[in-house]
Amino acid sequence: MDDLLESPSTLTEKPADLQPEDDDQSSGDEDAGLDWTKIIPAAARPVIPKRGEKEFEPRENGGTNLQMHILDRARSAMFETLRATRTISSKGISYGVWYPTLGRTHVTVPRGIHFSTMGHSAPRPILDERGVNRLHKRLELLPEEAIYLVERGALFCWKECDVDASHLQGFEGIAGAPMSVQQVYTEMIGKENLTLEKFQVYANLRRLGYAVTRTEAPNDSYPMPPPFDLSRPSTPPSLFRRISSPFLFVFSRVLRIFSSSFNWWRPLRLSRLIHHDYASIYRLLRFLPSGHTIPLHQSSTRTLPPPSPYKIFYNVYKPSTAFKKTAPPLPDFQVVVVNARTTPMPTLQELSALFDLLPELPPPLPRPRRQAYGSKTTPAAPDLAAKTPTQLQTTPTPLQPKPMLLQRIFPFLFPPTTQPLQVQRRPNPFAALKQGKKIIVIAAVDNGNISFFRFSQGAFEEWPMA
Amino acid sequence: MSLITPPSNPRFKGKAGGRKAEAARIYAHPLPLLFPHPPTSRIQSILAFLGLSLTRIDNPHCEGVFDSCTRSVWVSRSEDVEALWRRGFFGKGDLSRSEPSWYTRQLNIRKSGGKQMTSEEITAKRRAERKQFKADRAAAIAAVASEAEHIFATEGRVITPALSGPAIPSAATWKPSKPTTVLDNSPEVPPEQNPELEPSPEVALTDEEDQDPLIDVEHLQLTLQESFFLLWTLECLTVLDPHTLEPMSLQQIWTSFQLTHLPSLPSSSPAPSLLLPSARPLQLDNPFLIHYIVYHHYRSLGWVIKGGIKFCVDYLLYKRGPVFSHAEFALVVCPVYEDPADQAQSTFNLENASPFPWSWLSTINRVNSQVQKTLVLVYVTIPARSRVSSDILSTPACLAYYSIREVILRRFIPARMRD
Repeated sequence: MDDLLESPSTLTEKPADLQPEDDDQSSGDEDAGLDWTKIIPAAARPVIPKRGEKEFEPRENGGTNLQMHILDRARSAMFETLRATRTISSKGISYGVWYPTLGRTHVTVPRGIHFSTMGHSAPRPILDERGVNRLHKRLELLPEEAIYLVERGALFCWKECDVDASHLQGFEGIAGAPMSVQQVYTEMIGKENLTLEKFQVYANLRRLGYAVTRTEAPNDSYPMPPPFDLSRPSTPPSLFRRISSPFLFVFSRVLRIFSSSFNWWRPLRLSRLIHHDYASIYRLLRFLPSGHTIPLHQSSTRTLPPPSPYKIFYNVYKPSTAFKKTAPPLPDFQVVVVNARTTPMPTLQELSALFDLLPELPPPLPRPRRQAYGSKTTPAAPDLAAKTPTQLQTTPTPLQPKPMLLQRIFPFLFPPTTQPLQVQRRPNPFAALKQGKKIIVIAAVDNGNISFFRFSQGAFEEWPMA
Repeated sequence: MSLITPPSNPRFKGKAGGRKAEAARIYAHPLPLLFPHPPTSRIQSILAFLGLSLTRIDNPHCEGVFDSCTRSVWVSRSEDVEALWRRGFFGKGDLSRSEPSWYTRQLNIRKSGGKQMTSEEITAKRRAERKQFKADRAAAIAAVASEAEHIFATEGRVITPALSGPAIPSAATWKPSKPTTVLDNSPEVPPEQNPELEPSPEVALTDEEDQDPLIDVEHLQLTLQESFFLLWTLECLTVLDPHTLEPMSLQQIWTSFQLTHLPSLPSSSPAPSLLLPSARPLQLDNPFLIHYIVYHHYRSLGWVIKGGIKFCVDYLLYKRGPVFSHAEFALVVCPVYEDPADQAQSTFNLENASPFPWSWLSTINRVNSQVQKTLVLVYVTIPARSRVSSDILSTPACLAYYSIREVILRRFIPARMRD
């Protein structure tokens, strides 16, 4: 079987629509084995079958005849399926030439829909018929794109070759030495910062239908999304938040300077005269520095920290996002890929550095509430994609402004302002807390097993419970 | 005195809504301080309009004894225990899972099945029922399988034995056939109850008056963080020195709470609280300080914060309290040294001060997502020794040099994010 795989004429094929079924149905048991018996005709295109039910209890005295029979049947079905010769249509295959010095694969014959989300055009100097050197734009693939296409049988790859055999009879249209799948893996991984882990993450996301591009352009002609708008949203409430959150940090010092009334031995002084309730006591207790806006006091720079392995590598676009290859929009997610065996969890400094590159997300929209009888339905949330970083318009912040010091001391000067009729419902604080303000996805790859984790910047101090 | 009072209104008995209302009544106050409503008069209402009030804040003034060996403060007076547990869920009964319920459990045993079940007993009952269900289900599956086996052996037909279906009980519909009670001598019953169960015939024989009067031997134990929060901010706890039983001063408490985490001197030293601080210098990375900052931060935001060792984490956050809902968030405290050199020199081997491996992260995240909790990494920065001197540790003012920030962690499942 290995020989078959070696020979370039039988490229391994995976079906074009090899997309796992919706995982929502399968209660998260993605580690369960496949039920190969459901794949009936071996020649038919493989389908990922429904998983069988697990038995709850082991049978006494090990397996019985019936159990052995069912197991054998499943096992032989698996071998039958794997034994089938995988074929591809020559009409659907693209052709390309791998240039090891460039680290790119030049696609000479592009076929199929893959190139709507893969590859980019790059100007390369070529000699035309008259011997003049001029720039010519051509479609090129990054190593991960080429491996992915070769692996699934959509691309036939030659390797650039010194011997020009194209004029020989029978060699027309052949641009170099043919490459096997194994050769593609060995030659292309390691080029252009591509590691095996990064390729595995790329292939995993691609198979699920995501468009995946590099975050850092590998060359000048690589199309890049517009930069994030990293300026803080400047709507009035956010401005207030900006003023009020460092307020607590300097609260103690400022107070000590001009009134020296904050006594660290008696942090909570409840005057009999001022009306108190639990909420006001909780507010008075919030005097410890908290939140990501507080500067991280980095220690002296005498020893430079080693370069962080936590660099954003991929921009990821959901299948539903309108993706234009030449002008990509802002990514839906950004992914960092690390080797789980050699890299420990990110430190706070590494996470902060990542968060500094990311835009702030608006709080999640409240779910449309199930309406009471007879009442009008509120229009459904208009922008479902607002959860993603692509859309940076902010919904009005629900945060109640913190009462200023003056307001705390003389509450009667500030009669409680009646909230303007709230058009937008307050987002669920739990949903907002769980989403966080900035999101980075880290893929920890352990020998091919990918664990994606979402690290988000928490903002508990903005959503008090009382 | 028992904290688990029978419902005042028998109409509500057994109804979920009634229990909720009852819990809301018992646990109405989120903090031990009370604001009694004075009879409203015209002056009062005018003052209230101006933001002033004449209400006296009712402070329970609880009392506890500091115990440096267990790093806790023991509260024994039953009215204090009640105030601290019911108003803010502070502490834990030393013989109970959380609420001090040992006395009620003992009463229930004496009466062989009291009316009011404690949470421990409810759990034991649920577990016994679950065990029964699993046994029933396994038996049904085995019956179906042996039938299929018989058909395969005699007729050669292959029937995959069903694992669910009409013949097999499902967790959604299964009902215990006979009411399983805690008094079944099942291994689920907490071990402390077993000796009491054996002589139950004798208990039945002897008259209740003949028994030794039941003395509540349980105390409420407060962690040092809880104690310091209660006594420092709310001023509703007095901590007594374990040797003299005299109230300790705030300065003494502040120092001795930190000293309990320092290695004790190998001499025949007197009580650690009596030692001068100079004998053992205080350190900026004291676990008491780091955990107090976390505790205070979430308390001040209105969360009820309890220990989370059952879920591999440091703390759990409850919205109103453990009797109202399950914990929503699970916190892992990660101390961060501003200066890595401080970490190398530190005598504390602080947990999670260095990033842990991915396998451990996966472990705790799996455990917590299984129980519908969101994992939060709480980073507490420790000021560098080059920036601040450790002299600031003599007062709580040092807390302003620390900072706290959260990182929320969830698994990202690309297959479910496609939209």
